[in-house]
Amino acid sequence: MSAPLLRVENLGIEFGPADAPVKAVDGVSFAMAAGETLAVVGESGSGKSVTALALTRLLATPPARYVSGAIQFQGREVMTMPAPELRALRGKQIAYIFQEPSSSLNPVFTIGYQIREAIEQHRPEVRDVRGEIVRALDLVGIRDAATRLGDYPHQLSGGMQQRVMIAMALACQPNLLVADEPTTALDVTIQKQIMDLLRELKSKTNMAILLITHNFGLVSDFADRVVVMFRGKIVESGPTAEVLRHPQHPYTRALIECVPKLGQKQRRLKVIDYAGIN
Amino acid sequence: MTTYILRRLLLVIPTLFGITLLTFLLIRLAPGNAALIKGQTGENGGHAMTAEVREQTIKLYGLDKDPLTAYGDWLVKLAHLDFGQSLVDHRPVLTKIRERIGLSVSLTGSALVLSYLIAVPVGIAAALRRGQRTDRMISFVVFLLYSIPTFVAALVLILLVAGGDYLNLLPMYGANSIDASEMSGPAWAWDRIKHMILPVICLTYGSLASISRYTRVSMLEVLGQDFLRTARAKGLSERRVIFSQALRNALIPIVTVFAMELPALIGGTIIVEEIFTLPGMGQLVFQSIEARDQFVIMGVVTISAFVTLFGYLMADILYVLVDPRIRFE
Amino acid sequence: MNAPVDESYSQRLARRFSRDALALTGFWLIILAFVLAALAPFLANNHAIVRVADGQISFPVLRSLEPIEWRFLINVPLAGLIYALRRPLFRNPQRGGLIVAVVVIVVQIALAFVQPYNDVTNDRTRPATFKLMPLIAWSPLESSPDALVGPSWNHLCGTDSTGRDVAARILHGARTSLAIGFVSQVIALGVGVTFGALAGYYRRWVDMVICRFIEVMECFPSLLLILVIIGLSDSQNNMIVIMAVIGLTGWTGTARLVRGEFLRLGGQSFPQAAQALGAGDLRVILRHLLPNSLGPILVTATFGVASAILLESSLSFLGFGMQAPTPSWGDLISEGRRFIDFAWWLVFFPGVVMLVTIMSYNFVGEGLRDAVDPRLQVK
Repeated sequence: MSAPLLRVENLGIEFGPADAPVKAVDGVSFAMAAGETLAVVGESGSGKSVTALALTRLLATPPARYVSGAIQFQGREVMTMPAPELRALRGKQIAYIFQEPSSSLNPVFTIGYQIREAIEQHRPEVRDVRGEIVRALDLVGIRDAATRLGDYPHQLSGGMQQRVMIAMALACQPNLLVADEPTTALDVTIQKQIMDLLRELKSKTNMAILLITHNFGLVSDFADRVVVMFRGKIVESGPTAEVLRHPQHPYTRALIECVPKLGQKQRRLKVIDYAGIN
Repeated sequence: MTTYILRRLLLVIPTLFGITLLTFLLIRLAPGNAALIKGQTGENGGHAMTAEVREQTIKLYGLDKDPLTAYGDWLVKLAHLDFGQSLVDHRPVLTKIRERIGLSVSLTGSALVLSYLIAVPVGIAAALRRGQRTDRMISFVVFLLYSIPTFVAALVLILLVAGGDYLNLLPMYGANSIDASEMSGPAWAWDRIKHMILPVICLTYGSLASISRYTRVSMLEVLGQDFLRTARAKGLSERRVIFSQALRNALIPIVTVFAMELPALIGGTIIVEEIFTLPGMGQLVFQSIEARDQFVIMGVVTISAFVTLFGYLMADILYVLVDPRIRFE
Repeated sequence: MNAPVDESYSQRLARRFSRDALALTGFWLIILAFVLAALAPFLANNHAIVRVADGQISFPVLRSLEPIEWRFLINVPLAGLIYALRRPLFRNPQRGGLIVAVVVIVVQIALAFVQPYNDVTNDRTRPATFKLMPLIAWSPLESSPDALVGPSWNHLCGTDSTGRDVAARILHGARTSLAIGFVSQVIALGVGVTFGALAGYYRRWVDMVICRFIEVMECFPSLLLILVIIGLSDSQNNMIVIMAVIGLTGWTGTARLVRGEFLRLGGQSFPQAAQALGAGDLRVILRHLLPNSLGPILVTATFGVASAILLESSLSFLGFGMQAPTPSWGDLISEGRRFIDFAWWLVFFPGVVMLVTIMSYNFVGEGLRDAVDPRLQVK
């Protein structure tokens, strides 16, 4: 295997007081190849979002503390990277979309301006910035992109806002897109649209995608590989189909069973039985 | 947005009536006036009222009529900007106010601008260093200033820099020097500015606490927002994240708090103008209260309240204009 | 966070509050100020605390107490005692209630017989075998021949233009200033909570009317309104009037706050749940809605006390203060300002005491606000 796009080694992140730390991420290691789609699955509090934010050191310190580990992106160490280089990495190489599009967009700037900021930051060579913004909005399926430029986030629906977030992320053609629970805050039908859009973008570009989710249902036909996190640790990983078919860890089995299947009558919602895990 | 502003404008009407009603009741129910109706002058009124003045007073306030008619009559007079005449020098109240309002407005306005210029950066600095020594120092200093009564600060300042005992840098009282009428334009302006420095400082320092605390809270709220994480994830510099993205959001509520400072500032002018012998509205109303010159008191109270109401109105409209979330609704 | 899971709202407030060193210092300084004010006759008096003469022991200081001081000094500890003993006392509610009622009535009847004892003897100069004088051996109204003397061991904070001891006057003046701050805010709180609760609970036209009223009140600068009311009334120089007027012009913040909290809480389900269980309006307001807004109300009240003391000092300066026998700190300062260029102690000492008190209230208010406001908590 050639040098991976991203390699995370023994990552450890703590919160809280130093004498009684809460280990949010505890010895996590994984790697991603260019163009690969990896899903990190786990329930809230399992450390998956913290891991995602740590990739470009986006966690505020304090309260967070990076206690161990190395993060290498294209062979460069992120953990010790000086601030200017880190800024060049953020947005340009690794772009993010977040869970709550309505609060992730700044309410007092137009969407056009917010995309423009990203382009001006990382692609100073672009002369027709406006055209570039329109192209980005077109790409994520926003119609009349040229007229929506001047809209403020609150004038758009949740699904549209998330599309704007994606457009902003794609505007600088990153090598890795981190999608942190991109559909959790959205309606079910919109969820599907956004996932379809991500799938379409994946096939159009050669961008790697790190999908953070608690929903195994999204993973099955999207990700190449799956990493399952539980209480800050990786408990299982492997090709998606394999993990889905033969889950090794009881927690993984429980998560998979939580996904309601169509056409299957379910008497009650599954609840994870923690006593059986560990 | 238009409906919002229209609705806001409509709400002004009952408030306007409320202000006039309260002013009217205040004067009419004052024990001094109860005595007037009975034909006595106030015990400590100081000056004896002539029968003619008494008649005039009773007539103007309609003390001989039932309250409702009297109030109605007074409203009609107000609508014609007829505030009556001063009992002291028999000049129209409106003329007296007009002579003095300019000074008070410039005093209040300068103090407001100055306190924003100081308090907003200070508040931002405190928010960015929340819980650290800088934050605590700022909090300590602004509350220390807030806790000093205006008149004490004025006395100390006069003693230190204007009295001649220590330093004699600034004039001690008055809006201008005695020979100001012979001065050229720039010299006159410089003379006026020198006379205004101490009064403006005395009016300003008290508002620093509220505006800087407000800025701090507003900024802290914004600093916890998700969209700043988005801005950082985009690769924007920390400087840009804070001074372009965060500040824009934090300033929205701050630009509108100026109206809340107005009542305190107007109250402050009474003390400051009294100490520095400045011929403004504050001094006018204070002298009128001492002389029980009710026409002038009513005029100044009504106009002060109207000005404050106008301030609130401006603040609300400004809010709509600067916040896109309301502007496009 | 490592916060205990089962702590109550007030415990959580106390924990967060006590992390703030300034606020905590302010809190204890206020307590100290109240204790010193309550014990003023024992701390600054020309009557000895204990005097032994002619083989007899006497406590002259007790004879200098006014009936109202007796009532205060007996009733406040009594209330504290009853509160401390509430558990054993009210284990049997009927018997406990009876005991408390009898004790309270007997004490009040006894207090009604206390007569002012106009004792003009001065133990400072009166010879005795043994005497224990208060820390400051001067009464606040007592003139000495040394007028305008600077601080010395005899007069810790100097004397004023008629030779009265400034330290004694500050100590006794604390009662006036603290009472003005406290009582005026109790009034403001009462009016504000009532209007705010009515507006927030009944909404619709009640809310509409009260909101307009609040806005009208907020258009008048408090100082102007107070000056006009006191200036035009014939009952000047009356402490009660000043307290009432400051309270009646300063309630709008509380009203807005309570209204806002009620509107917010009204949308939640628990008032409805209480109503569904058959609770009346008053009960829902008092038992369910009001406790939830207590924190923010306390914050405004604390800041209110600070501004009331400030406001009273401004009134004193403008000549509309009270001419009570024991003047407020504001009166002391404005009296002293005429001599400021050579008798700095007249303004300095009362000024510093007032400053520290006002700052203490402000820091307590600030600490409370940080403790109450969930948005400002470190995540």
